[in-house]
Amino acid sequence: MDNYFFCYHNNLYKLFDRLVMIKLKTIIQLLTLFSLLLSLKMTAQGPPIFTDTPIMLGLEGRGLRTFGNIISRENANAYVQPIVVPYNISNKWQVSLIAPFVSISPGGADSRSGLGDIEISTKYQLYKKDGKGSTLRGLIRLDETFPTGNSSRVPALGSGAYQTTLSLVNGYVTTKYGIYSEFGYTITSDGLPDNFTYNIAFGYPLLPQKYPPNQLNVFLEFNGNYVFDQVGNNLFVSPGIQYIAGRKLLFESGIQIPVDDSAPVGQRTNYILRIGTRILIF
Amino acid sequence: MKKIFFILTIAIATLTAQAQEAQENLKGTVKVEVDGLSCPFCAYGLEKNLKEVDGVENIKIDVENAYVLLTISKDKAVKEETIRQNIKDAGFTPKKIVMMPDKIS
Repeated sequence: MDNYFFCYHNNLYKLFDRLVMIKLKTIIQLLTLFSLLLSLKMTAQGPPIFTDTPIMLGLEGRGLRTFGNIISRENANAYVQPIVVPYNISNKWQVSLIAPFVSISPGGADSRSGLGDIEISTKYQLYKKDGKGSTLRGLIRLDETFPTGNSSRVPALGSGAYQTTLSLVNGYVTTKYGIYSEFGYTITSDGLPDNFTYNIAFGYPLLPQKYPPNQLNVFLEFNGNYVFDQVGNNLFVSPGIQYIAGRKLLFESGIQIPVDDSAPVGQRTNYILRIGTRILIF
Repeated sequence: MKKIFFILTIAIATLTAQAQEAQENLKGTVKVEVDGLSCPFCAYGLEKNLKEVDGVENIKIDVENAYVLLTISKDKAVKEETIRQNIKDAGFTPKKIVMMPDKIS
């Protein structure tokens, strides 16, 4: 489901292309801050904010997730609010429905909002190796995006194309840290370019772990997307913070800052801010 | 000689049956070591699955030390296999299960 961002990223790509470079200094500052946080005594963490997790348990398997993506570009602003409902058919197999609300405000044109492209996603666990206080898991994920967002006039709310993504998601999570990776290839209809998504995430907790949880976690993620056309590669560095308030509720926020952006000047991304929550309902 | 052999056979069979019952029927407070328990946020399913076991009164999950303490009703006994299966269904790996003398505090 976290690949969802890039599906949307591609969809919006059709609307107002790409993005902005940020100063290297800011990134170094973020990395330094993260390194300092890592030097604290830490134990365990929650699911990453932008990268998918191979763990389909707890808030990742029985809950409802929603988040707001505030996308700031040089030539437009957009707000995307998907609602994600995952359901575990078994402890190895999950299906999800993702329905986004989209609002776009292009510079110098009328704003438009409504339902975007709906996505159905399914995950299947390929392997699991549990140890004391650790787990190594991997899964395969298939996403299908349907062009339900109106794209008949500008600004379009959807891509106007079907998109099929096959991804591999892996993770090694211990009581002290978590490392996650996600690689996916998207085939797009209607002559739109295919793309390759690559996400890597590191997570660390700031509070002692206990159950029911009361956790504060930090993440550093690298979220990339290579579009097979003249646009090419996009890479974001994404620091984030997450608070797990008991058994059934999680709040999270992260910001994606572009470090590699191939879009023409004037159409680049300034930042993408995500503020979200996950609520256990099943 | 025949008599001694018969008595020994009966005694061994009785002891084996008792040992099997002790292994399968859990009572009182039970400590279950659980592998894969690496994040508190994903332990909810484990708690929920174990609550569904008839006879389990109380559950305490210790993520840091990777075990679960179960209190079983005084008038009930729970099969070890039931506990193992419910842990597997929750997506974790059950390991050693032992009955504890102390109750959950």
